[in-house]
Amino acid sequence: MRIRTPAALQVLRTVVIADDESSMRLLVHATIESDDYCVVEAADGAEAWAMVQKHRPALVLLDVQMPGRSGLEVLRLIKADPTFAATRVILLTAKAQETDIESGLIAGADFYLTKPFSPLDLLTRVEEALQL
Amino acid sequence: MALEHDGRERRGRPARQAWSLRNYMSLFMVVLLGVAGLAAFAVRSLAEMDARHSAGEDVSFASQRAAQQLQAGFDQIAAVSGPLASDPSMAIVFADPSKCHFGYAPIGAFATGHIDLVRFDGSVVCSSPKSPDTTSPTYEGQAWLVTPQPVVVAPIKDPVTGNQVVVVSYPVPGHGALAWFLDLAPIGPKLASEFGSGVHQLEFLVTSGDGRTVVSRSIDPARWIGRNVSGFVSGSAPASQPDLNGTQRIYGRSTFDPVGWRVYVGADEAAALSVADQLSNRSLAIIVVGVGLMLLVTSIVYRRIAEPVRRLSLVMRGSTAGDAVKAVGTTGATEVTNLARDFDRLMATVKHELADRLTREQKALVSERNYRLLFESHPQAMWLYDVHTLRFLKVNDAAIDRYGYSREEFLAMTIKDIRPPQDLPKFLELIATPQPQLDKTGPWRHRLKDGSTVQVLITSHSTTFDEHEARLVLAEDLTESQQLELELQQSQARVEANAELSKAKDEMVSMVSHEMRTPLASIVGFAELLVTRKVTPDQRAEYLGVMLQEGRRLTALINDFLDLRRIEGGQLTMRFAPADIKALIKRGVALIADPEGVPIQLRVPSNMPLVRIDGDSIFRVVANLLSNARKYSPDGGEIVVGAAVVADMVEVYVQDQGLGIPADALSHVFRRFFRVDNPDRIGIKGTGLGLAICKNIVEAHGGTIGVESDGLGKGARFHFTLPLARETARTGDVLVVEDDSGFAHLLQAELTGLGLSSTWAADAETAERLMMRKIARAVVLDLLLPGLQGEAFLDRLRIEHGAGIPVVVVTQKDLDPAESLVLYKAGVTAILRKGPGMAETAARMIAKSLTAESQAAELATG
Repeated sequence: MRIRTPAALQVLRTVVIADDESSMRLLVHATIESDDYCVVEAADGAEAWAMVQKHRPALVLLDVQMPGRSGLEVLRLIKADPTFAATRVILLTAKAQETDIESGLIAGADFYLTKPFSPLDLLTRVEEALQL
Repeated sequence: MALEHDGRERRGRPARQAWSLRNYMSLFMVVLLGVAGLAAFAVRSLAEMDARHSAGEDVSFASQRAAQQLQAGFDQIAAVSGPLASDPSMAIVFADPSKCHFGYAPIGAFATGHIDLVRFDGSVVCSSPKSPDTTSPTYEGQAWLVTPQPVVVAPIKDPVTGNQVVVVSYPVPGHGALAWFLDLAPIGPKLASEFGSGVHQLEFLVTSGDGRTVVSRSIDPARWIGRNVSGFVSGSAPASQPDLNGTQRIYGRSTFDPVGWRVYVGADEAAALSVADQLSNRSLAIIVVGVGLMLLVTSIVYRRIAEPVRRLSLVMRGSTAGDAVKAVGTTGATEVTNLARDFDRLMATVKHELADRLTREQKALVSERNYRLLFESHPQAMWLYDVHTLRFLKVNDAAIDRYGYSREEFLAMTIKDIRPPQDLPKFLELIATPQPQLDKTGPWRHRLKDGSTVQVLITSHSTTFDEHEARLVLAEDLTESQQLELELQQSQARVEANAELSKAKDEMVSMVSHEMRTPLASIVGFAELLVTRKVTPDQRAEYLGVMLQEGRRLTALINDFLDLRRIEGGQLTMRFAPADIKALIKRGVALIADPEGVPIQLRVPSNMPLVRIDGDSIFRVVANLLSNARKYSPDGGEIVVGAAVVADMVEVYVQDQGLGIPADALSHVFRRFFRVDNPDRIGIKGTGLGLAICKNIVEAHGGTIGVESDGLGKGARFHFTLPLARETARTGDVLVVEDDSGFAHLLQAELTGLGLSSTWAADAETAERLMMRKIARAVVLDLLLPGLQGEAFLDRLRIEHGAGIPVVVVTQKDLDPAESLVLYKAGVTAILRKGPGMAETAARMIAKSLTAESQAAELATG
C-alpha cells in the first residue's frame, strides 16, 4: 500500500485503487495522479474494504478478480452501507463477457472499464464519476 | 424300576441312564422308609439302654439307702443297749423284776419286735410287750445268752412269738443278757415302702454275710425268711440276673454290709424295659406319622408335577392330541401349567411359521417353474455362463435354434468361441474389467455354427447359478431399425463429444484471453501514457520497465499455452531415450539456483538406474518445480531435490519450506490458471500453466505427479515418477551423444538406413553410463552438451575403453586449429560441422570406419 499525501489533505478527495497486479495499480495511479486526489492502494479485496472503511473515499477503482474478496463483493459491501451512498465505484475487469458487465452494473457500479483500457478513458470516467 | 434310556440324544457319550421322575420318587420313598426304620431301631436301642441305666442307678441308690437305714437301726440299738446293759442298776432289776419297765418303739426298718432281760438259764426277767413268766426258761440253751460280747444272731425263730427274728444281745455281767428280738418279716416291706415300688417294682433282699440265708425280703417275706438260697451273689455294679422266684431283675448291692448282712435291691427288668418300650413306641409313632406325611407330600408333588409333565410330554410327542394346557389340567403346579401354556404358544407360532414357509416354498416352487419356463421358452437366445471359466452353464432353445449348436456342443464351449477372432481382444478387455450388475452392450458380432456372423445386442446381469458366479445373457438380434438407431446414437455421441470439445476450447480461449488482458492492459496503458503525456525520465524508465516485464510475461504465457496445447494434443513429439536422472537434476539445479540464496540440496544416489525419458521435457518439469519452490519460498527456506527408486519407477521430488498449499487446494494445483487464493502470494507471478504442463509431460511418460503440503506456511513437496530404462536395452552398434533430439533422431534414421543399430544419449553422463553397461562399436559425439562436455567425455572414453572405438564429432562449435588438433590426437575419425546433410555424412563415415575395422579384424584373425 502506498499513500501519496499532498500537503492540503483536507480539501483533497480520496481515491482507493484496488488491484492485485502491481503493474495495474501503478498504471492507474500514474493515470489519475494529480494534486486533486489523495490516492490509496490496496492489493486484495479485504485490504480494499479496510481502506474504504478507513479513508471513506470519494471514489473506488475496483479490479473484479482479486484474491480474498472479489471486486464485486467489495462493491456489494459498499452499496449495502448507506453511509457510503456518496462513494462512487468504477470496476476494472479482464472479463469481457457482457454478463459480467451487467452483474457489475446491477451491483451498483457507476462505470465499468475492460482491460486493456485507455488511460485517457479512465481519467475521463474518474472525473465524470466524481462530478456525479 | 423302569429306566428310560434315550440313546438318540446321548449318542456318542458314555451311557448314563436317565431316570424318570417316577423312579426318582420311588427311590426317594425307599430311602425315606429305610431312614425311618433305622431311626426307629436306634430309638429303641437307646431307650432300652437308657432304661437299664436308669434302673441300675435306682437300685444302686436304693440298696445304699437301705443298708444305711439298717446300720442306723443297729447303731441306735447299740447306743441305747450298751450303757443300759452295763448299768449297775441292772442287778436291781434282775433282783426285782417288778422294777422292770421296757417298752418297744420301732427303730428304723425294725417295725416290730420286743426287748427282754434274760437270765442265763433262759428265763425272762422282764419283757417289753408284757410282763413275762419269769420262771420258765424260755430261751434256755440259746447261744447268744452266754456271750461275753454283744452279738447279733439271725435268723432265729422267736420261741415266744414264733416269728423269724434277729436277736441283738448285750451281756449283763453276772446276770444274763439284754436281748432285742426284731421281727425280720417287716424289714423288706418297710424298706420297700420307704422307696415305693415305682416303675421299677423294686425288690429289697437282705441276706446273711455269705449270701446263703435270706434275712428278709420285700416280696413274700414270710415264705423266704430263713430260706437257704444257695449262693445268691451279685457284685456291687448293677447286673441282670433272675431273682428267687426266677423273675429277671437288675440287681444292685450296697457298698457296705450292715452287721455283716448283704443288702440287695433288684428292679424288675421287664418293667424297666416296658418303660423304654413305651418311649420307643411313642418315637416310632412320630416317625410313622412323619413318613406318612412325607408320602402324602410326595404323592401330591407327583400328582401335581410328574403326572402333568408326563401328560405334557405325551402331548409334545404327539401321542396324545390336544392342547397342552388341557392335558395338564388344573392339577398341575404353576410352573408346569406355565410350561404347557408356553408350549401351546410355541406350537401355535411354529404352526404359523410352518404354514407360512410352506406357502412361501410353494410360491417359490411355482415361481421357479415360471422362471425356468421364461428362460427355456424365451423367444430370444439366452444363456448362463460362468464368469471365471467363461463356460456356458445353460442355454435355452432359442439359442440352440439361432446359433445352430446342439446343447451338448454349447456346454462344451466358452463364450469366447462364439466371437469372431478379430473381436476377441475387445471382448476380453470388456470382461477383464468388473462388469456392472446389469449391463447392456453391443452391438457385438457372434459367429453361428455355419460360419456366418450376426449382429446382436447383449443384455446381461450377474447372478448365481449352481454355486457358480454366473451371468445371465440375453442376445437380441439387431434389427435394421435398431441398427439405424444405433448409428444415430453413435453419431449423436460424436456430435456431443465435438460439442464438449468445442466448449472446452471456448473456455480455454476465454481463460487465455482473460489472462492475457492484464499484461496487455499494462503494456497498452503505459504506452498510451508515454505517447500522450510528458513524463520525467524516471517515470519513462519505470513505465518502460513495467511494459518490458509484462511483455515478457505475455510471451511466456503464449509459449506455455502453445506448449500445453501441443502436449495435450499429442503434437509434441516425445523422443524417449535412456537418461541419467542425476545429471539432469544437477543441470536443473544449476539453472535455478540463486548464487546468493540458500543452496539447493541435492539428494540423488549416484547408483540410480537409467530412466527412459524425453530429456528436454523432463528437464523442463524439474526446472519448473525448482523454480516454483524458489518462487514460493520468499523468505528463502531450504529446498531439497532428490530421487529414489520406488517400486519399478524412479521418484523425483522437490521439497521446499515455503508458503505451502492449503488442503482444499491440493487437488487443484495442476489445473490450468489455478492460483492459490491467499494474500501471502500476491506478488508472485506466473503464467498459471507450469504445473499443468508438468502434469501432461509426466503423464506422457507413464508416470504420475503429486503434491503434499501440511498447509499454509508449512512448505510443499512435489513428486513425480518416471519409468526405468530397460536393462536389456541394446546399446547397439553406434552411440549417439547429442543434446539436440531432432538431429539425434535424424542421425539414428540415417544409421538405420545403413544397417546400423544405434542408441541415443542426450548427455555425456548418460552416454558414460551406457558405455559402462555395453560398449558401442562407434560413437557420434556432439561437443556442446549440457553438463559434461564432449571433449571431457572423449578423454574418459579413451581412458576406459582404449583407442579402438571410432568417434565422429558433429558440432556447431567453432573450433580453432588447436582445439581440432587436440581432438584428432584423441583419435577422432572426423570433425563435422552441424548443418544440412551432415547427419547423412556422419552416418556414412561411421559405417565406413566400422567396415575398415571389421576388415582389419578379419585380417588379424585370418
